Amino acid sequence: MLRVENLRKSFTGHVAVADVSFELVEGKITSIIGTNGAGKTTLFNLLTGHLKPDSGEIFFKGKRITGLPPHRICKMGIGRSFQKANIFPRLSVFENIQVALMSWAKKSRNIFLRSKTLMVNETNQILENIGLNGKQETQAGLLAYGDQRLLEIGITLGSHPDLVLLDEPTAGMSPEESKGAVKLVQKIAQEMNLTVLFIEHDMNVVFGISERVRVMHLGRIFAEGTPEQIRANKDVQKIYLAEEN
Amino acid sequence: MIKVIGKGKTGRLSTWAPIAIFLFAGLPFVLPLSWLSLLTEMLILAIAATALNLILGYAGMVSFGPAGLYAVGAYTTALVLIYTELPFWLAFVAGPLLAGIIAIVVGWFCVRLTHVYFALLTLAFSQIIYTILFGWYGFTKGDDGIVGIPIPKLLQSIPNYYYFTLIIIGISLAIMWMIVNSPFGKTMQALRENPERTEFIGINVRVYQLSAFVISGFFLGLAGAVFCGFSKSVFPAYAHWMKSAEMLVVCLLGGIYNFLGPIVGSLVYIFLDKIISDFTHYWPLVLGLVIIALLLFLPGGIAGAIAGKLAMRSDKG
Repeated sequence: MLRVENLRKSFTGHVAVADVSFELVEGKITSIIGTNGAGKTTLFNLLTGHLKPDSGEIFFKGKRITGLPPHRICKMGIGRSFQKANIFPRLSVFENIQVALMSWAKKSRNIFLRSKTLMVNETNQILENIGLNGKQETQAGLLAYGDQRLLEIGITLGSHPDLVLLDEPTAGMSPEESKGAVKLVQKIAQEMNLTVLFIEHDMNVVFGISERVRVMHLGRIFAEGTPEQIRANKDVQKIYLAEEN
Repeated sequence: MIKVIGKGKTGRLSTWAPIAIFLFAGLPFVLPLSWLSLLTEMLILAIAATALNLILGYAGMVSFGPAGLYAVGAYTTALVLIYTELPFWLAFVAGPLLAGIIAIVVGWFCVRLTHVYFALLTLAFSQIIYTILFGWYGFTKGDDGIVGIPIPKLLQSIPNYYYFTLIIIGISLAIMWMIVNSPFGKTMQALRENPERTEFIGINVRVYQLSAFVISGFFLGLAGAVFCGFSKSVFPAYAHWMKSAEMLVVCLLGGIYNFLGPIVGSLVYIFLDKIISDFTHYWPLVLGLVIIALLLFLPGGIAGAIAGKLAMRSDKG
């Protein structure tokens, strides 16, 4: 589904992503974990068109998407969430999802329709899926932080992606909320047959649901395997221990 | 339940807008001509400010140069009427059309920048327009302006021109209301809130910003064209940054997150101007104090504050 070949990006001499290559299989949940500064978010920004790579190629469903702008990559079926709740704070919870759905349905340019009555069922369906039903009219910026993060996942789903890239979706959540959110992602991914790529700092968050885990360190993919193999990997343990100390 | 801001009773605008128009239509029977003239001026300012607010309040693009496109509308109508034999309505339509076309060119450059850089570039373009109007004496009559613009007999009386303006503002507001409540309008609001996120739901941010800029430019030009017919004269000062500042103040005064904000703002602005100018020559000083008080105590503007109160009351009820 997604093929990344020798992707490289550096900022004023510092190499953030160094010759990263990997492939994602359709319908699977996988993760990339790594300590702070490992290059995970830069990798996501390259995949979604937010940044242009210095070299390397990205293919999605067989088509080259390297260097395309984010809105085109989104239209091709890649959705993403951000490390911080990245929502439309002064729009209602309902409208947050609705604008994404309208864009997917190619209705955003229309100036003659009344938006209030558009995609109402679809919006409510997503709100139900992410557990924010009943908060439709609430101003999104006033939601509890955990709910804002769920809403962001909802906005991502509104674009009807085939591949979802989640950038530390549980950061800032309480342990309880984290568990709930991870389960939710798993459930939605199964129901909608989504391919999901997590990036996480905290290994424990993703070990339960990922079929495959890749470890990123200093811009490189440094280990790859099942969660059990990664957990047992001595070098991975060293990296995480070094960060704790 | 916490409600979304700006969603109070203004949501029923379509219900009472006809009542408002009906009331306004009755005013020529009770108001003296001088007041009617003032009211016409206020309505024209309301079209311009609402047009500016399409990008300012709805799309989050702070323009410091709306007067440039307003002047393009006014001068186009004036120049067509002076130099050609074309009928008034064609000259009148040419104003907003040319303003829209110029907005495509100006906007194409401006949407490449954001925040204060966007604001400064819009200011620069409007000052270029001002300089052309001021300097091209052979064509625009420079600082003398163009006076004695011929308009049809039917529109020469103050009440008739008031009705003409009322029809134009009625149609303009209805169209702008439709736009801000359309999917495009909602997408503009998403853009205002978070351009980065909007791009990641598949929106080409620059194209949408440019579209909003052009729509706004068209209605600014329309307001200019109506004002040209009202005053039967045009001057380079229409494009000056002082005029842009006036439109911005009107929007802030009324409230930028409410559709009615700029209309309320223009009503209060023109009214204050009239009242205070009668008492003192220091009207700008008083205006300055009013703006400071407003920003400190009513950051959502007058209409914003009223809508907030109404929303709270309907919540309690």
